[in-house]
Amino acid sequence: MRFLPLLFLIHALGCWAIHESDVGTVDWHKKLVGIPLYKSPATAPRFASVDDRNVILTASANNVLAALDAKDGTVAWRYVFDPEDRIAGFYQNGNTVVTLSGPGGAIARGLDIKTGVLTFERRLHANSEGLLVDPNDLGKGIAIGTTSQDVYTLTNGHTVTRLDKSTGKPSWTWSGQDQSSLTLFTKLLTTTDTVYVIGVSSSFASYTLHVVSLSSSTGQVLADSEIPSSIVNASADLFAFVHSGSAFAAWLENGNARSLLLSPTLKNKQAQTLSKQSFEELLDVGLSDLGLFVGKGSRGSTVINLGDNASLGSTIGSSDASAIYAGFHADGKPHIAKSFWSTSTEKYILEVNALDASAPTILPLEHADVAHFTLHVASSGEPQVFLTTESGTVQLYTGTQVQWSREESLATTTLAEFVELPEQISAEADAKGESFTHRLLRHAVQAKDFPRYFSSFVRRFITGSYASATSAATAAADGKLSRDAFGFRQVIVTASHVGGKVFGIDSSNGDILWSRALGAGVTPSKIFTIKAVSDGVDPEVVIVTEKRSEEARDTVVFHLNALTGEDVAGSGTTIVRGQGSDAFLLDYGSKFIIILDDLQRVHFYPDNDESRRAFTDNHSKLSLPSLASKNGHTVIFGSHFAFNEDAGEHPVAYRTWELPLPKDERVQTIDRAHRGPVASLGKVLGDRTTLYKYLNPRLFIAYTVTASKSLCGLYLVDSAKGTVVYQVQLPANNGACNIQATLSENWLVYHYYESEVPSSDVHRTKGYRVVTVELYEGQGPDDKTESSDMSSFDKAATDVFAFEESYIFPHAISALAPTSTKFGISGKDLIVATKNHKIQSFPRRLLNPRRPHRKPTSQEAEEGLFQYDPIIYDDPKRVISHTYEVANVQKIVTAPALLESTSMVFAFGLDMFLTRVAPSGTFDVLSENFNKAQLVLTVSGLIAAIMFTRPMVQRKRLREKWYM
Amino acid sequence: MVLRSLKGSLCLLFLWFATTIAIDIHGRVEWNDVCSNATELGRAKAILDSGSEYAGSITASGDFTMCVNRLLVPANHPNTSALSVFSFDVPSGTYLLSIITHDYTFDKLRIDVHNPADAQTVEVRPYIEGTPLHPPSTVILPYPIKVSAKGKFAYFSPPDSFNLITMLSNPMTMMMVFGGIMMLATPYMMKNLDPEALEEMKKEQAKVAGVQKAIASGNFKGGISAIMAAADEATAATVAKTPQKSGKSKKSKR
Repeated sequence: MRFLPLLFLIHALGCWAIHESDVGTVDWHKKLVGIPLYKSPATAPRFASVDDRNVILTASANNVLAALDAKDGTVAWRYVFDPEDRIAGFYQNGNTVVTLSGPGGAIARGLDIKTGVLTFERRLHANSEGLLVDPNDLGKGIAIGTTSQDVYTLTNGHTVTRLDKSTGKPSWTWSGQDQSSLTLFTKLLTTTDTVYVIGVSSSFASYTLHVVSLSSSTGQVLADSEIPSSIVNASADLFAFVHSGSAFAAWLENGNARSLLLSPTLKNKQAQTLSKQSFEELLDVGLSDLGLFVGKGSRGSTVINLGDNASLGSTIGSSDASAIYAGFHADGKPHIAKSFWSTSTEKYILEVNALDASAPTILPLEHADVAHFTLHVASSGEPQVFLTTESGTVQLYTGTQVQWSREESLATTTLAEFVELPEQISAEADAKGESFTHRLLRHAVQAKDFPRYFSSFVRRFITGSYASATSAATAAADGKLSRDAFGFRQVIVTASHVGGKVFGIDSSNGDILWSRALGAGVTPSKIFTIKAVSDGVDPEVVIVTEKRSEEARDTVVFHLNALTGEDVAGSGTTIVRGQGSDAFLLDYGSKFIIILDDLQRVHFYPDNDESRRAFTDNHSKLSLPSLASKNGHTVIFGSHFAFNEDAGEHPVAYRTWELPLPKDERVQTIDRAHRGPVASLGKVLGDRTTLYKYLNPRLFIAYTVTASKSLCGLYLVDSAKGTVVYQVQLPANNGACNIQATLSENWLVYHYYESEVPSSDVHRTKGYRVVTVELYEGQGPDDKTESSDMSSFDKAATDVFAFEESYIFPHAISALAPTSTKFGISGKDLIVATKNHKIQSFPRRLLNPRRPHRKPTSQEAEEGLFQYDPIIYDDPKRVISHTYEVANVQKIVTAPALLESTSMVFAFGLDMFLTRVAPSGTFDVLSENFNKAQLVLTVSGLIAAIMFTRPMVQRKRLREKWYM
Repeated sequence: MVLRSLKGSLCLLFLWFATTIAIDIHGRVEWNDVCSNATELGRAKAILDSGSEYAGSITASGDFTMCVNRLLVPANHPNTSALSVFSFDVPSGTYLLSIITHDYTFDKLRIDVHNPADAQTVEVRPYIEGTPLHPPSTVILPYPIKVSAKGKFAYFSPPDSFNLITMLSNPMTMMMVFGGIMMLATPYMMKNLDPEALEEMKKEQAKVAGVQKAIASGNFKGGISAIMAAADEATAATVAKTPQKSGKSKKSKR
């Protein structure tokens, strides 16, 4: 019975749902894991083998632990950690991957290595007790018991806990001196019956090695000792390893590699020193089980043995500071790989050395910006290398070939823009200046194909199917980049903040058409389409970036061809020396970009007379909202523009207003409205009166925080003079303000968590709320002020009234956006990305603030209003991402297709997902239910019936004539 | 703290201590026909309220433990800014427990913690979404919490496919086909009918036709006269010849 109204509702709203057959044709999903965290050995990618299948385990900057299949690079499984639960390290323990995450290593988890299913989760301390350190893996560690396979964790730099290998149940906990002590433990080692906790104590100029040995069965302290030593960098220069059953600590001291055999009593304090050669850096390449390390020195890199008998091994390379090393051993046979620039072949290569007389294997590398790699050598001797580049590409080399490659920088996408593709132009018609006779001849020649065309036309007419809104956007036969019949095929230009990587993605299938790295230190901040297909040229995009170098921060603009990714005008134009404060796209016939520098001077791109003239002519009408810092906190202000003689050629923005806020209310951010075509200015009601939409084009959303009252504010502000049109204060959720809101036309929707339980109508319970607000002109129906064309200085500019209603929302959300269509005639649905990894659409009719709180009258029913229900049901049929797990969506971008009914939805964050939605149904194409076979069958049946009955009727008529 | 000032890359940001540890709330997802194991369930979390404070993942055995999961938000994060007020108070109060999964629905539960020092005072009650929290339900469920999947989401609607049998089994189509057949077959059936039965049928038909006509025109008076006329016609028809009869019967049918 509870679901009865829901069923009714689905029926009333006209069911638009996904068919299983549409999966993969109308949508695509890119499951990403993020760029590996390679800097710390605790989180760096490593090979693991599961049932004779190799996987690569990697923790990523997107806080995901994933297993990639070594065969094809697909994600075997992944575990997405919460944002506040940063991964500090993972360790393989048989068939389990043990992870430590959260502040100070607050949570230990066990994940099944085959499936990624969580086997245990154990909180070791409250998040609030976590010791926050940098780097994140410092003071945390995991060791596996040699016989019991139990897990020993080191957390917060001073606590050791023994956990059961399968349930995670702690059997004992040892805590070093309290946090205020001078000792920070960083390493954990286990031998048969002893656990060694190794750390550093601070002394005057450096650190001293500090070791505690514990009984592995009871956790009792066996010995506690300081070893005379001097370590400069505790996170990089100290190592601990177990070699043939004995524990060792090794460190770099004044350029000398030293190592110490540890015994349970810690009596031995005499460290052995390799004094023959001095090193700048000591590297653990993954061969510490054999006691092998790589020492990087001024004269070259050497393999050294710091085990039982410390010794220098073979020299494996020259002194190349940029060389990267990795090692692998199986059955005691070590291999060391090194990547470097080979001067002989003029290529970046990777050399795998077996540390014996055999010749090294050489792998030529595709990318020169290798940041890290992991080595695995199969029993056949064939090396496999998992490689990560600075710009976020991960690759697997098997032998000397690239087996697969993944673009993980897509997981750091911050900007995306849809760019329409040009129509396919037939090559012949292209020829301009064709004479009449020439054309006649061409047509005559082409006429030879007519019979074939005709026969295929007849065949198509009878049997062929028509493109529907759910058919795949297929590529043109000639492979050229052109749009499909309905404009579902577009280029999505995305920009990632890692390495300034820009991609051109085919919206029909998610393939990467082109990619470009804008260079190191480049952070894209805005992306604009400056030339579209309608301008008669290849579409062009402009990416405004901030380029950070050691000396300066510059604002650099990249102008790219959206179809190829090639530069249109030079590779990056520096617009502002210094930090730009904001950039805006202006469209006065021709499109151009204005960038404000920190002195509020206006810079133009493209900087030509045309854009300057357009700006000069229109600047008096222009008003832009910005954020600025004042007395240590952010304020919102509005700017107008003036031509000031002091500033020379640059117009200057000057502040005209500042949003006044109460004393302890702080600005969080501002968000501009979704602009799109407006199809109707009003809404005709059942009684034939009209509500005129309040369509002020200058409105923007401002979010604020009042910490002292635990309140979050949301304002709708007019950017011309800072008038607050709508304002609301919402409760903060456990001190955090996370309101999601969107404004489209006159419709404002916001989502928040209601944690307080006031006694008003809907609100007598906790939960997520969505509030929908519609703004109308004047005081009531038929009151028209023409707000869309009105000046902000008009008295009637704030003459506005609102309908609002709140609903209980079923989910926590991370992003929301309204759909957008070509002419704005179709309804607007609300697309949300929920925190349980779904993209869901909610119909506008459901969110109508005018839904009556009783049975609707016939007039209201005529308008399509139905009775108010405080709950918005979670309708699985409207989950447009269906079975896909679209994780951690940060933003949803919607774009129109050529069909008015259909809107494209693109969600990105960690994963990427694209689909099409038709909020009002696909009214402008033949319905997909249209059955041509049925029509043809019915028509031919009727024809047959006519043919059969015709002679009968004729006979009868004749007979009637005879007897009349 | 002390280490910070020293050279090297080791950099301690800050230390943070809590004074109270709240109680852990334990529960278990019971496997049932809807969802029979953790692999099917996928990644799942049990959360109290919005989950920003208390959350616990569901393990392979179905167990979950919820502990303090306070947000540590960087101060200048773009969309979530931390407020400076952090309380480490006792978590007694009323909470709503929800299980967050991708593919399954679970009922919500209301959890009341009265005395954070004693896990036995935790009260579990059923809760229907959207209903007021007060007054609480009188049904008290056992603690530790037990929940089970109520349903699996069906994301897809079945495709509308063309099928001759479904088309023909449609009552409308069947009526049409039957009507068509009857139209063709009646004259022949009439021929083979016994003249008396034919007479009878005729009368009936004429009556019905008259009434129908009258009702269609909304004229009851006319209806009565139509009935009368039909009766007249019927008597006339008996005298007339057979071929004429069949013609008339056709007309009346039309």
